[in-house]
Amino acid sequence: MTRALAILALALAPAAASAHHVGTYTPKDNEVTTNFKQVKFSVQAKKFEVALRLFDEGALRAEMRARTAALPAGLEAGTRTALEAGDGAEVERGLMIFFAALARDLALEGDRQLADPSLAPEARAALGPRFLEATWRYYNLIDFAVATRDDKTSVAMRLAFDEAEGYAKKAGAPEGTGLRDALRRIAEILAQLIDTSSTFARRDR
Amino acid sequence: MTDSWRLPPVWVALVAVVLIVCAELGGASMVRFKVELTRWARGAMLARPAVHRLVGVRDVDERILDEALVKFDAALRLFHLHAEGMGLVILATTTVAATLARGPRARGVIIALLTAGGAGYPLGYLLWAWLIPHRGIEEGKTIAEWLVWIPFGGATIVALWWLAGLVALRLVRR
Repeated sequence: MTRALAILALALAPAAASAHHVGTYTPKDNEVTTNFKQVKFSVQAKKFEVALRLFDEGALRAEMRARTAALPAGLEAGTRTALEAGDGAEVERGLMIFFAALARDLALEGDRQLADPSLAPEARAALGPRFLEATWRYYNLIDFAVATRDDKTSVAMRLAFDEAEGYAKKAGAPEGTGLRDALRRIAEILAQLIDTSSTFARRDR
Repeated sequence: MTDSWRLPPVWVALVAVVLIVCAELGGASMVRFKVELTRWARGAMLARPAVHRLVGVRDVDERILDEALVKFDAALRLFHLHAEGMGLVILATTTVAATLARGPRARGVIIALLTAGGAGYPLGYLLWAWLIPHRGIEEGKTIAEWLVWIPFGGATIVALWWLAGLVALRLVRR
């Protein structure tokens, strides 16, 4: 009987032993997205002096300055002026353009890295979803602002992301051109959004 | 059934106490050297960009590094918690085995399995913590699983089922 019990225990053990938990991970905001939320909520609460202080001292403005060359001219100064003037819609527009530019640059970089023919299939499979996730993380912050100004662009972006996600699941394939096309499409939509939003102070719909 | 509890061998108590001491030392070290540990893990990961599939873009890499550091911290915490808990589990279960398992051979094997399994299992988390910066989250987990968690956790589970069966058998035969 003892032997039978030992055999039964042996049979049940391995499955249970590997079923340990190791915790889950929830992505955190980075300095830029944290500062964006601080400024956004201050503006929504109409605390413009607080928003201006947070903007002046935060990572958002530092990042805008660091990326001046890739951004529409006068974006940082324009956003600051809008904060000083207490113009919430204009602040939102400035921030929307900035995050659209961040997302666009990530999509372009993802496309560039995926084009590397020496990339191993596993590396390619990991690369696509990571760029896509990072791009979405920035775009998601401004999707509401985009949708209220230009709902067609918002829908086009969502469709492009859906398409890219589908391709990302099979990004390990050597051809992998579908994901690259989708990333380029995302970059194009965002570039157009930046262009139209920067040309006109406010879009009349 | 005897009225009094029998103690497990002294070496079992020593293993259990040492394990609890290690747990407390681990917990204290996590607090005292938090910055140094994080810096070391981050440095080790940055030195192995291919392992962690870093792409050289801050917005992408920071998320990867952050997840690995969170898991690194979780592994150390889980070592602390499991070492504390398994120390007590060893003491409790080997006492039950020493008292209720009649056959000296079966009793000896059960006590040995409970002690070795209980003492070894938490070390898997320590190993995983070390492997995360060097081999990545998933590969590190797989290695820790096959080298430590499955054999030592399996030993504990085998012994516990065995002991449970023996105790149930005694109840039925009373």
